Amino acid sequence: MITIAIAKGRMQDDALALLGRAGIRLNTEEVNSRKLAVTDETGDYRFLFVKPADVPVYVEHGIADCGMVGRDVLLESEADLLLPLDLGIARCRIVVAAADPEVMTRAVGMLRVATKYSQIARAHFGARGMPVEIITLSGSVELAPALGLADLIVDLVQSGRTLRENGLTVVDEITESTGRLVVNRASYQLKAEAVARLVNALRAALNGA
Amino acid sequence: MRYYIGAEARLRRTIEDAAMSVFESWSYEEVITPSVDYYDLFEQGMGQTEAQRGFRFTDSDGRLLALRPDVTSSVARIAATLLADRPRPLRFCYAAPVFRQQPQSHAEWRRENTQLGCELIGTGGKNADLEVLRLAAEILSRLDLQYCITINNVDIFNGIASELNFDTPAREQLRRLIDTRETDELNQFLRHYSANDGRAFAQLAQLTGKRNVLEAARSVIRNDRSLAALNALEELWNEIEALGLQDDFEIDLGDVPSLDYYTGLTLKIFVHGAGASVGRGGRYDGLTGNFGRAEPAVGFVLNLDALTEVVGRRKAK
Repeated sequence: MITIAIAKGRMQDDALALLGRAGIRLNTEEVNSRKLAVTDETGDYRFLFVKPADVPVYVEHGIADCGMVGRDVLLESEADLLLPLDLGIARCRIVVAAADPEVMTRAVGMLRVATKYSQIARAHFGARGMPVEIITLSGSVELAPALGLADLIVDLVQSGRTLRENGLTVVDEITESTGRLVVNRASYQLKAEAVARLVNALRAALNGA
Repeated sequence: MRYYIGAEARLRRTIEDAAMSVFESWSYEEVITPSVDYYDLFEQGMGQTEAQRGFRFTDSDGRLLALRPDVTSSVARIAATLLADRPRPLRFCYAAPVFRQQPQSHAEWRRENTQLGCELIGTGGKNADLEVLRLAAEILSRLDLQYCITINNVDIFNGIASELNFDTPAREQLRRLIDTRETDELNQFLRHYSANDGRAFAQLAQLTGKRNVLEAARSVIRNDRSLAALNALEELWNEIEALGLQDDFEIDLGDVPSLDYYTGLTLKIFVHGAGASVGRGGRYDGLTGNFGRAEPAVGFVLNLDALTEVVGRRKAK
């Protein structure tokens, strides 16, 4: 049996739907209950539902053999994992946005950047040689410019509505993010057959879609 | 920053003794190297990127010192200098702590871990490679661990990379994509390379298994360097099968280690119960040359602290 950690929230439904198409079905009632671990109908897979940022942690330590989580989370965690499959779900962009797009060129000295993704933001501005102060928030990042906490934000964008509603425009796109299948390095060798079966089933489901 | 007390310390000692007695039975001599040495030594031995993960500080005269991040560098140096006149091959083993900086969040959190390791210097070829593989297997089965040793030959990757004329950054990006098995990105990256070998790369990332891997690789690889490496790997695999060890070994063409100094065989050691590899090694024929006397060398290390954790957890059950 292999254990798969799934990021709760935004990605969970898409991930379960994809697994369903790959022939791995879970009891909906059990998923919605508060149980920590749920086993699929065949008993071949055990699922853990954890916060997105915790998925790479569980997988890197080998508590879960595999995980399904967004690339944004992986970039932020810098965990050492195998990434054999792009699941193509929960597609979104990681962008730099500002209330006043001119701020990027006009500002002298240091820009303040509010974000949930401090690693990604630091790497992005670092690569461009722009001195920035990173302010780490845990939510509602789009409020920061309006309230005067920051000049810029780095955040996930799906439709762009939240940004528009808060009077923000995208000034730069850092990267795109989709859900990924991640695999623990040891499990990839020690449970090679089971992992390969999962990867192939998911790949077939993706190609069939 | 880990304490071992009483029973745990005894268990750790038992594992260390087991490994050292296996080394000794294969005529490996123990070597004890300084835990503090000039930083230059490690940079020459491991390359800059790896050596910089060591803890560095200055001596009273301003020269840069380091807590040893590996033992291999020191052993390679004495082989090339102090012991230059000794008859070959040299067989050395050690049980010694090494020190490396670790990013805070990662699963490998130990800044200090004890390496159980060996070096076989002055002899190349299949028999030397096989000797260290058998040693590793013997230690792991002596500890009653269920294990899997993956083997590869770096020249399979190098042959294809030089065929495609990659510059260093492109080569490193490619290596990373193979290492993390990002098949989709790999295909993207290689789209512009129409050569046969370009497509071969995308497949390498997925090739892990037994003898069938060799055949699959041979059907997509065309260049001589990679084919020679593939043949060497096959010869080694024949020996592994002849010894009846094939269930515990695996060929993994996607294992392309970040250390630039491997020149042939590479290996990684996994055991059930550990979420990360517990050992690694390979052939580094270029290493002793950095200290003035080039000769073939092969070796591996096991992480004593990781092994203790696995064995300890098994006992607790």
